[in-house]
Amino acid sequence: MHLDYRLKEDSGTDWASVTEEDLRYRVALGNLIFHVGNKDFSAAWEWIPLIDLAASFTEIVRKLEGGSASETFEFTESDASVRFERKADKVLVSTSYVEGVGEIALRSVSEAVKSFRERLWSELVTKHPQAAHNAAVRKLLGAAHVSD
Amino acid sequence: MNLRLLTALFLVFGLLLTAAPTTGYAQVQTGADQVILTQSRLQHIIDRHWSDSTAAGAGKFQTGITVDTLRDMINEAVHNGRARHNTHGRPGTIYEYDFQRQIGTTIDGGPATRLRVVVSNRNEVITAFPF
Repeated sequence: MHLDYRLKEDSGTDWASVTEEDLRYRVALGNLIFHVGNKDFSAAWEWIPLIDLAASFTEIVRKLEGGSASETFEFTESDASVRFERKADKVLVSTSYVEGVGEIALRSVSEAVKSFRERLWSELVTKHPQAAHNAAVRKLLGAAHVSD
Repeated sequence: MNLRLLTALFLVFGLLLTAAPTTGYAQVQTGADQVILTQSRLQHIIDRHWSDSTAAGAGKFQTGITVDTLRDMINEAVHNGRARHNTHGRPGTIYEYDFQRQIGTTIDGGPATRLRVVVSNRNEVITAFPF
């Protein structure tokens, strides 16, 4: 599974004051790069809120690991969605915008999402050091434990 | 509680509901509820979902839909639509309503008859789009 992103340039955000709602809908926008096996579920729409996606995917993994049979991620500005269906130690991934189903180990999903979240945090705080001190950013990227 | 006190409470509650909005805000009356469409959120919807928007992967409103029409549609969706909690920790409530007529296009260009409105916990519209 390849889970990555491309962050759009953003020079207008005050990272000291952005709220969770901003991060969920309006800030740190970009593209999703998402391959599962030979299926390409990428979404190059340029408006995907990547911090929200990282937080939502993390929550989805937590629920799947907790025994949930399926979880669905809804994009914020359309009815497009990504469905994760657990089958024992595997996860079947499908989307509303690309045909086909990809299969991946749950452990691999978990590792890919964790890596995605950490890379996004690293890039954001490198480009925008104030983001490291924003409670909403730290909450959504699970970075509250990261030392400054 | 006597009748005079009850009447006074109704008047105060009514005044609170119909208080004039501050500059840049437009109220969408929804009977007992109301949601607020701020200028910045309206601009977000126009940028992302207006018929002439070039944003990829986002539903678009039909040509001819005006800001006033949009406010009416949001009103109707919030008042009559199906409500559910926002997903995976996102704040707010999602309202979805099927207008039974085309109001725009879906992300693949097909006809869209439904409207999704996301409303924050402060009763402010976050986004709204056809699907």
